[in-house]
Amino acid sequence: MLRPRIIPCLLIKNNGLVKTVQFDKSKYVGDPLNAVRIFNEKGVDELMVIDIDATVHNREPDYRLIKNLAAECRMPLCYGGGVKTVEQIQNIISLGVEKVSISSAAIYDPELLTAAAEKVGNQSVVVVMDVKKKKFSSKYEIFTHNGVKSTGLRPVEFAQKVEALGAGEVVVNSIDRDGLMTGYDLDLVTQVRDAISLPMTVLGGAGSLQDIKQLINKYGIIGAAAGSLFVFKGVYKAVLINYPSPAEKDNLYS
Amino acid sequence: MSEYQICTNCVMDTTDSKITFDENGICDHCRTFERDVLPHWHTDKSGRSELDRVVEKIKKEGERKDFDCIIGMSGGIDSSYLTYLAKEELGLRPLVFHVDAGWNSQVAVNNIEMLVDKLGLDLYTEVIDWEEMRDLQLAFFKSGVSHIDTPQDHAFFATMYKFAEKHKVKNILTGANLSTECIRNPLEWMYYQSDSIQLRDIHRQFGSKPLTNYPVTSILRHKVYLPYIKGIKVLRPLNYMPYVKEDAIKLLIEKFSWQPYPQKHFESRFTRFYEGYWLPKKFGYDTRKVQYSSLIVTNQMSRTEALEKLKEPALDEDTVKQEFEYVATKLGITIKELQGYMDAPNKTYKDYKSQESIYSAGAKVMKSLGLELGGKR
Amino acid sequence: MITLVNYGLGNIQAFANIYKRLNIPVRNATNADDLIDAEKIILPGVGAFDWAMTRLCESGMRERLDELVVDKGCPVLGVCVGMQMMAKSSDEGVLDGLGWIDAEVKKFDEAAFTQKTHLPHMGWNDAMPRTTDCLFRGLEDDARFYFLHSYYFVPSRERDVLADTDYNGPYTSSVRYGNVFGVQFHPEKSHQWGIQLLKNFAEL
Repeated sequence: MLRPRIIPCLLIKNNGLVKTVQFDKSKYVGDPLNAVRIFNEKGVDELMVIDIDATVHNREPDYRLIKNLAAECRMPLCYGGGVKTVEQIQNIISLGVEKVSISSAAIYDPELLTAAAEKVGNQSVVVVMDVKKKKFSSKYEIFTHNGVKSTGLRPVEFAQKVEALGAGEVVVNSIDRDGLMTGYDLDLVTQVRDAISLPMTVLGGAGSLQDIKQLINKYGIIGAAAGSLFVFKGVYKAVLINYPSPAEKDNLYS
Repeated sequence: MSEYQICTNCVMDTTDSKITFDENGICDHCRTFERDVLPHWHTDKSGRSELDRVVEKIKKEGERKDFDCIIGMSGGIDSSYLTYLAKEELGLRPLVFHVDAGWNSQVAVNNIEMLVDKLGLDLYTEVIDWEEMRDLQLAFFKSGVSHIDTPQDHAFFATMYKFAEKHKVKNILTGANLSTECIRNPLEWMYYQSDSIQLRDIHRQFGSKPLTNYPVTSILRHKVYLPYIKGIKVLRPLNYMPYVKEDAIKLLIEKFSWQPYPQKHFESRFTRFYEGYWLPKKFGYDTRKVQYSSLIVTNQMSRTEALEKLKEPALDEDTVKQEFEYVATKLGITIKELQGYMDAPNKTYKDYKSQESIYSAGAKVMKSLGLELGGKR
Repeated sequence: MITLVNYGLGNIQAFANIYKRLNIPVRNATNADDLIDAEKIILPGVGAFDWAMTRLCESGMRERLDELVVDKGCPVLGVCVGMQMMAKSSDEGVLDGLGWIDAEVKKFDEAAFTQKTHLPHMGWNDAMPRTTDCLFRGLEDDARFYFLHSYYFVPSRERDVLADTDYNGPYTSSVRYGNVFGVQFHPEKSHQWGIQLLKNFAEL
């Protein structure tokens, strides 16, 4: 029986792991390699690692880091951050990464998705949509460059577009809920879920295993991703890598 | 070239070049323990009542605060047991304080989580800037000295004291204890990790990044300024009661599904590599001899058992190979480079600037005031 | 000695890392010469069928592989698209497969699914082995792996099916035809279950 995926999401900035709140105020979390190693030993379903600086600074992916991280993973790894060309995607995949996540490039160069899917297969092409509501608006909109640049695009329509172009998975990332640990934005999730038939992953807002359970109960097979939840503990947001045990996971599925 | 000799009582031997033996072949570590430590170490009723007295004071001082003390927690047996003790038996309200230097093992992280969750305690983690830590650790490797775990150790103490001072916490509890540590690593093996002059000199000579975020402390700061001027006290509760390692492990496993480590300090991957492989291979210093000797003189281990265990290396070949590669990768160097540091000439703390004179003078003062038992030499 | 067929697709590094930790020697084969003396072969694969077949043929290793597998009976393990390539053809492409097993590759028929299911089949699912004396030794009670595919393998002979998996109905997730083994899932990315399976393959 296929199980929902529970996915820690790690953000890299300046070579170090950070955690943000609403895409702002980054708190230093430590060394990426050790964190990935610990997650691997905890037997996580899958791991997402996103370089949040790369697009803003127009940088190439850090291939050495990617290779080292991939070497520590006995589970699928999805890497993203500043990916703009098919060549970069192929390079990243060749270093031992299963999926490459594309965010701003999917918007400004949508043909990249089709070209990439032809080479590495659509199952390895993931589109991440960073979404928030503009001030005084009740509509969701996609933003890029760490939540700063408005694109005018609506997540539902855009998700349908990338599905048609060759993406294999869509990640919906709520900027508004990021780091707050107050729960997923289920309205947003429902809107996108109903619009596409690709596997979908939700990120932004998970504050407890209960939030993940609620997500799974509502949508069945879905990817439940979280950053803060798996990296912080307690009221002081003490950095401590954690992940549900096999027994706790079974509880989440039931 | 002096001959090899091993103590007839414990398992310390001439790899400690300053060791001396009496006419019965008993080493000075054992004699110091018998003469200086044992008579002043009270784990009976008198010890307990002294502890209770101190605990009452801590509770009073912390009455209206969110927590009354902080416990330095590594996930290892001593700090884990101490955390349980502090909450369940002594009734304190500790903040569990953990310093993440980038080398946490999965087991350590898991153990901390189990304890914090099941005891319902709050956790605070200070994450050391990894790029600076990495650079500093690399500098120590390049320096050729044996005490290359100084960057981690130094950071642990500095960070904890910094936090205590900042948040006006008067009481720090640590798991340091005589039961498993009455015999200490010889200075020649592990020089004082709090010597900031040594740290800065090695950094100046071999480091490439400025120490901006890395917390630097000094012996004067935490042995004089903080306790006597700021009133920040460090308490070692495990010294006031019987502390038997085996029993502590059993309790933690039973109550918290705690996972034991194959050796002391193995909660840090780096320390595991350092004490399990680097130190014995490069210098011939096996810290197990120190640890087992402590257990022997406190009747928790037989000399025969210790000798048997010492026959095998602490880490098997496959593990060494894996860890060697991981350490190199993490430090951002090649395996060849790391091997290069292994093969380079051995240096000692005397090859770099230090505050050793202050430590020697200080130790004499502490001893004469009865403020410290035993101690490093 | 495990020979990994490195034709540019598939997570060679992951296989190499696992075998390294298991202390089993591994050779990275990028051309026909590297295949000399191959004792056991792993054919990984990721991506589209035609693209994978093209890359494999361009690598120059195709003929030597046919010799080793079909003529000499060298054990081979095809992984994901690597397994699909061992069939005669695939709905995903126009090129012929290697034909080492009498089978076809079809796309999951979403219209026939009873509940809303997504493609690709993505995530951790169970393989139900029909026998546990070869690849699935030690995995009798729990054999879960990571799947990531939209097409599936359809062997002509029922007896070639080594394991089934349920994704809105059962389908073949592992096959065996003599010395030819295939797994649809990714053992190189399936934690301890994958490591066990890869170990079993090495020890056959």
